[in-house]
Amino acid sequence: MSTETTVASAASAASAASAASTDPSASEATVIARTFEDPAPTRGVRAVGARGSARRRARNGGRLLAAWLVTLAFVLPIYLALSSAFKSQEQILANPLGLPAPFTLDNIVTALDRPDHLVQAGLLNSVVVTLLTLVLLIPLASAVSFWISERTPVLRGILLAVFALGLMVPPQVVLQPIVSLLHAVGLQNSYPGLILSNIGGGYMSFAVFVYVGFLRTVPREVIEAARVDGAGELRIWWTIVMPLVRPATATVGIFLGLWVWNDFLNPLFILGPLQGQTITTGIYQSLGTYSTDYGQLFGIMFLAAIIPVVGYLVTQREFIHGLMSGASKG
Amino acid sequence: MSTQLAAPRRTGGPLRLGRRGIGLAPLAWIAIALYVAFLIYPIIQSVITSFTDRNPLKPASSFVGFANYLELFQDQRLLRSLGFTLVVVVFVTIVANAFGLMFAMLLNRSTLNYRAMRTLVFIPQVLSGVIVAFIWRSILTQNGLLNVTLQNLGLTDAAVSWIGTPELATLSICVVVSWMTIAFSTVVYTASLQSVPAELYEAARVDGAGAFSRFRNVTFPMIAPGVTISVTLGLITTLKLYDVIAVLTGGGPANSTKSVAFYLIDVAFTSNRFGYASAIAIFLLGLTAVIAYGTTGLLRRREAHL
Repeated sequence: MSTETTVASAASAASAASAASTDPSASEATVIARTFEDPAPTRGVRAVGARGSARRRARNGGRLLAAWLVTLAFVLPIYLALSSAFKSQEQILANPLGLPAPFTLDNIVTALDRPDHLVQAGLLNSVVVTLLTLVLLIPLASAVSFWISERTPVLRGILLAVFALGLMVPPQVVLQPIVSLLHAVGLQNSYPGLILSNIGGGYMSFAVFVYVGFLRTVPREVIEAARVDGAGELRIWWTIVMPLVRPATATVGIFLGLWVWNDFLNPLFILGPLQGQTITTGIYQSLGTYSTDYGQLFGIMFLAAIIPVVGYLVTQREFIHGLMSGASKG
Repeated sequence: MSTQLAAPRRTGGPLRLGRRGIGLAPLAWIAIALYVAFLIYPIIQSVITSFTDRNPLKPASSFVGFANYLELFQDQRLLRSLGFTLVVVVFVTIVANAFGLMFAMLLNRSTLNYRAMRTLVFIPQVLSGVIVAFIWRSILTQNGLLNVTLQNLGLTDAAVSWIGTPELATLSICVVVSWMTIAFSTVVYTASLQSVPAELYEAARVDGAGAFSRFRNVTFPMIAPGVTISVTLGLITTLKLYDVIAVLTGGGPANSTKSVAFYLIDVAFTSNRFGYASAIAIFLLGLTAVIAYGTTGLLRRREAHL
C-alpha cells in the first residue's frame, strides 16, 4: 500500500526468510546496528589513508558535495511540505521552493481551529488504536512465539508455515470477509473491530517471526534452569523470556506502531466513513476539498506527520537494528 | 537446531505438569484463534465466495462454479489493471533498487554529514502513503507546484497534466512509489554494506583490485541477501499498493491507474459483487505468491552460487 507497508512486509518477509532458512543471531544484529550508528571501525583505515593526500581530500570534498546534492534533491518534496506549512498561500505559489520568510503559524493555528477538530480527533483516535493494538498484540505474539518454540519440530514447522502466510497476503484479499465477519459479531464500524483485526491479521505474523527468530538466540539453559526450579510456563514467559527478548519487543513495537499508525485501508473500510477517523483516513476524507489551499493542506499534514517523524528520529537506531535483525543474513 | 530445542523438553516429562498450572497455552490459543479468525478464515471464505454470485444487496447467493474465474480472463478492466500493476512493479523494482544501492554506497561513510544524509533519505519511509501522496499531488496537479515553478521559470507556457493523462499519470505513480521505496531499499543496502568485513576490501586492495573490481567481486556478492530482501519486499508492497493511488489519481484518468488491488476494492465495495471480487482476491493472492516465491527462489539461487 504505502511506505509503511513497504517496511511492514519488508521486515516481515525478511524475518520470515531468515526464520525459514538461517538463524539470525542477536549479536550479529547488534553489531550491524552498532555499525549503522557509527561505522567508524570499518572505515577507519580509509580515513587514515585519506589524511595523507590533498588530492584525496579534494575528492572527499567533491563526494560530500555530490552526496548532499543528491540527498537534497531526493528530499525536496519533504522540504516543500515542511516549508509550505509555515508559508502563506501567496508565498507558496509565488515561490514554492523559497524559505518560509516571513514565517507564519497561521496554517497550524487554522488547522487546530477547524470546527470538526480533524487533527485533534484524528490524532487521539490514532493514538488509542495504535496503543491498544500494541498493548494487546505484543504479549499475545510473544506468548504464542514462546509457545511455538517449545513445540516439537514438526508442529513448530506447521505453525510457522501458517503464520508465514500472513506476511504475504495483500490486505485487500481478506478485507471483505473481515468486514463481513465484524458485521456478523456486531463490531462493524467500531474501534474494537479495527483493533481486533489489527491484532489477528498480518501484523501478528510479523511479530511472531521477529519473536521466534529472536528466541532462537536465547540460551536454553536459562529457561531449563527456571523450569527445574519449578517455575510455571506462564511465569517463565513473563519474568524470564519477556525481559530477554526486549530488543525484539522494541522492533515489533516500533514497526507495528508505525504501520498501524499509517494504515489506511483497514481504518477506511472497517471504521467506515460515518464513524470517527484515524488521522490518516481523516486527512484523506477531508483534504479533497483543500486541493488548492496549500497553506491549509500542508498545515494539517505537518501536524499529522510530526509524531511519526519525531518518533523515527528518536528511535532511529532501533529502527535500523529492527529492520536488519530479521534480515541480517537473509 | 530444531532437535536441540526439542530435546530438553522431553526430559522434563509429564511429572511437572501439575506444577506448571494452566501455563501459556490459553494465551497462545487466543493468539492463534485471532489469527485464524482474521487471516486464515477470511482466505478460506474468499475461496468459497469466489464460486458464488454473492452480493450483499441480494437475499441469497448461489453456487456458480468457475464462472467468476472465467470472467477474470474476459474482464478488460482487470486485464488493464494487471498491465498497469506489472508496469509499476517492474519500474519500481528496477528504479528503487538501483537508486537504493547508489544511495547506500554514496552515503556509506561514518562522518556526521553522511549520517545526517542517511537520516534524511530514510524519512519518506516513515510517512504514511496518504501524506506522501498528498505532498506529491500538490506538486503534480494541474495548477500544482511543479507547473507553477516551471511557469515561473518560463520553461513551459501551458500547464502539463502530470496526473491528468493516462501515460503521465502512470509515470507519476511509478515515480512516487519509487520515491518511497528507494528509502526502504537504501536502508536495506546500507545495513548490508556495513555488514561487509573491512578486511575483504583491504585484501582486495592489496591484491591490486580497482574500485570496479572491488564492487563486482567483494561488494556485490556480499550484499546478495540484501538484494533478495529489497527486491522481494518491494514487489510484495507494490502489489498491494492502495493509498497512493487513491489520493494521487483515484484510479483515473479513465481507469488507467487502477492496480489489481485497487480494482479489487472497487468491485467488492463499490459494485458490491462479493463473488467476483473474491475471485479477483484469489487471483491477486496467487499472483503475489508466484511473484514473491519466484523472485526469492531465483535470487536465493544466485546467493548460493557465490
